Amino acid sequence: MVVGDVTTGTEVLVIGAGPGGYVAAIRAAQNGLDTTLVDRDAYGGACLNYGCIPSKALISATDVAHDARNATEMGVHADPVIHTDEMQEWKEGVVDQLTGGVEKLCKANGVNLMQGEATFVDDSTARIAHGGEGQGSESIEFEHAIVATGSRPIQVPGFEFEHEPIWSSRDALDVEEPPEKLVVVGAGYIGMELSTVFAKMGVDVTVVEMLDGILPGYEDDVSRPVKKRADELGIEFNFGEAASEWEETEGGVVVTTEDEDGAEYTYDADKVLVAVGRQPVSESLDPEAAGVEVDENGFVQTDDQARTNVENVFAVGDVAGEPMLAHKASKEGIVAAEVIAGEPAALDQQAIPAAVFTDPEIATVGMTEAEAEEAGFEPKVGEFPFRASGRALSTGESEGFVRIVAEQEADFVLGAQIVGPEASELIAECALAIEMGATLEDVASTVHTHPTLAEAVMEAAENANDEAIHTLNR
Amino acid sequence: MTVKEFKLPDVGEGVAEGELVSWQVSPGDAVSEGDIVAEVETDKALVEVPSRYDGTVQELFAEPGDIVPVGDVIISFNVDEGAESGDAEAEAPDTEGEPGDSVDDAKTDTEEAAAAEAADTPEGRVFAPPAARKLARELGVDIAEVEGSGPGGRISESDVRAHHESAEAHDDTADETAVTPGEGGAPEAPTGAGASETVSADAGPRAERETTLAVPATRALAEELGVDIHAVPTEKTRDGEAFVEAEDVRAFAEREEEPAAEAGAEAEAGAESATAEPAREETVPYRGVRRTIGEQMATSKYTAPHVTHHDTAEIDTLVETREELKATAEEKGIRLTYMAFVLKAVVAGLKEYPILNSELDEEEGVIRLKNYYNIGIAVATDAGLMVPVVKNVDEKGLLELADEVQELATKARERSISPQEMQGGTFTITNFGAFGGEYATPIINYPETAIMGLGAIEQRPVVDDGEVVAAHTLPLSLAIDHRVIDGAEAAKFTNTVKEYLAEPTKLLL
Repeated sequence: MVVGDVTTGTEVLVIGAGPGGYVAAIRAAQNGLDTTLVDRDAYGGACLNYGCIPSKALISATDVAHDARNATEMGVHADPVIHTDEMQEWKEGVVDQLTGGVEKLCKANGVNLMQGEATFVDDSTARIAHGGEGQGSESIEFEHAIVATGSRPIQVPGFEFEHEPIWSSRDALDVEEPPEKLVVVGAGYIGMELSTVFAKMGVDVTVVEMLDGILPGYEDDVSRPVKKRADELGIEFNFGEAASEWEETEGGVVVTTEDEDGAEYTYDADKVLVAVGRQPVSESLDPEAAGVEVDENGFVQTDDQARTNVENVFAVGDVAGEPMLAHKASKEGIVAAEVIAGEPAALDQQAIPAAVFTDPEIATVGMTEAEAEEAGFEPKVGEFPFRASGRALSTGESEGFVRIVAEQEADFVLGAQIVGPEASELIAECALAIEMGATLEDVASTVHTHPTLAEAVMEAAENANDEAIHTLNR
Repeated sequence: MTVKEFKLPDVGEGVAEGELVSWQVSPGDAVSEGDIVAEVETDKALVEVPSRYDGTVQELFAEPGDIVPVGDVIISFNVDEGAESGDAEAEAPDTEGEPGDSVDDAKTDTEEAAAAEAADTPEGRVFAPPAARKLARELGVDIAEVEGSGPGGRISESDVRAHHESAEAHDDTADETAVTPGEGGAPEAPTGAGASETVSADAGPRAERETTLAVPATRALAEELGVDIHAVPTEKTRDGEAFVEAEDVRAFAEREEEPAAEAGAEAEAGAESATAEPAREETVPYRGVRRTIGEQMATSKYTAPHVTHHDTAEIDTLVETREELKATAEEKGIRLTYMAFVLKAVVAGLKEYPILNSELDEEEGVIRLKNYYNIGIAVATDAGLMVPVVKNVDEKGLLELADEVQELATKARERSISPQEMQGGTFTITNFGAFGGEYATPIINYPETAIMGLGAIEQRPVVDDGEVVAAHTLPLSLAIDHRVIDGAEAAKFTNTVKEYLAEPTKLLL
């Protein structure tokens, strides 16, 4: 605190400038704390640079081409041509604007920015190794630290990303020239989002998945429209197979997979995208030096104030555990910063929404019917299919449905699952209903704009109470 | 069964009394020899007091916050082989709470039990909007205990407030005891005696409860009538706790003190105007380390006429030198700090101007110049300011100094520092710059005669050969006792220190 490195001391040291870290830093600074934000890479973290934002940019861009190509029914005939390099340039522009914005916001709020890799020395000191040769390192003393070091893609043994034909999601997003044939290992949300992007670019996509279906964790009827659309796009699925090895051939690579019984299959490809999940980044930080405990998976355990087992060290975002979602990270960052500032903040949210930007989109919040039952509620369910929505039909996209789950006694909304157009946007209303302790009646009686997709949420709530107008009540 | 009394042991030389900070045990708890039973704060340190017996705790004789003279009985034990039986229920093993429970720390077992009963919603799911949940946290209310008035029992902000007001009434005494130790007038009742029991009026004319629910107005009335609200009998309960109303207090007061009619009438008027406002002020005890600091500061400032001399050292070379030497130091596991250089420079200055390394002995009528250099370093700790002393700085190397400073500072913060390690200083350095800022007017660590404050090392504009350039600078604030030292000496001394900091290689000479 007082003695030691006279140069640098900070009240709050935030390590990692992703959506957990930069949000924490800004809120800490807003609360009048002297805050230093250090990142070894780029402001905005994986989300802005290699994840959410660039992937959504490519998804939207390829959607435009795909929709244009498939609008003859609407009387529109087009033959769009994709210039991948220009698409990349546009995507980079979006990323730059956002990361530049993060940097400006931090500075404008008085956050000290520092480039470098942080390593704990003890529970009040960290050493920052600056990037680049001869940049040296410096020590910084802190009163509180917020660990927000994020996550990285998991590598499959043998399929390490340093091999040129083996892609991580990050490599895939930077593609300059689409491959002819792409093998995607993993049918989780990243694998499915990117498979769709490449299929819409005209790439021949084969998906290999160890489990027996896509998007594990989602109910079958929720993931079914996505599988159906992927099939229509010509994506080939091979379930129950694990990628075991690959070798270079004349024209590209051949990937060998193995099923449960040891039978082997081979697939030709130009590139192999490995998307089997993400793992926390914590080892370079040496959390143990500060006394912070890390579990066997590399996650830092935290309490409902985002505090680790060490009083003055907090952890937020992917490094603090599942779900690995940017908005969860941001919420935790805000709570950590407020707790440090002495506010009575806590992670007391009832639900964290999640969205998958496949075609169509999936979004969920709170409990499914089965989860509600498991939790001891008597669930009550209402649904509304988008094919009954005027707006959905008039956009040409009417696949999917809204499902709302409530409890029987007082009709409190417990959860919602949406698959269909703009599901990622529609879920926000359901999340608000859950947080507010709203009832089905509250949602159903709220006047919704016509004609919009959002009416589907209202209709689903009405349906749960057998009061739906535009569907038959069951 | 034998009862053994246990006296506050001598916790450190010259310590005559200690403040009982907390009990680690309650009556009925089983303890083994060596278990920590209490924490006692003396004016130097926080000391844990271990049990000398195996047995169960029979009685506690002091309240947290009490000042206890060494040798006074503070606790008694039942010492018996079968001591553990029977009292097991009275133990409160879950007082630690879950991590993250900190907001609800004050929650008693009774409240937890009530919450469990009330929770007919699975998994403690609470239907309340975020704003109501936040308010509950702010007020320290466990939202699981709040009864919702909305549709289906949805909890609104006003529900949280209403709950808080009734809970506050019943927590009042406890809160006061926590904030102003020793002032709570609550009668001693054995911990663990079921606070959830309903105390009925039939039980006797005088109740003995530990907790009582009442609206603030009733509480105010009781205070006015000089009635201990825990002694007022009642049959009414709320949330399983005794609930006292104004009429009960009045009835009790009349019985206790026959001619109290007028007082009651007055009180009634008072009770009506009383409102349930949260406390506008809180008191924090001025004791222990805090009081020691306060007394020291007052003595120094009222005795020594302070003058503060400000200057700035330009230290680009020092920054480079330290950068160069840091790696070597690190190989030896030592973090080479600027403080080590500052210590050396200060000692070089003191050698040239010994008057700053002195003490005024008014009784003898002499100024004592010290030919040894023990430099105190002010360290901010959670408990307050402490000044560990680095001895014989002139005989030690940079690495040794850096290491020692670090070790002393850590000990000070952990409060494991011994009194010897904070004595014998001849000059003090305070590094307020670690928290930012340039200049300050430090208070001399009396009876020393000078103290040097360090601002933050930063790049600042300086004039070099007619040009404004950026340079690393270290602002210096030297406070002197003007009875002993004059301004010219202060300035010259500072100049010397500046020189050594500007050209650290001079330290080699």
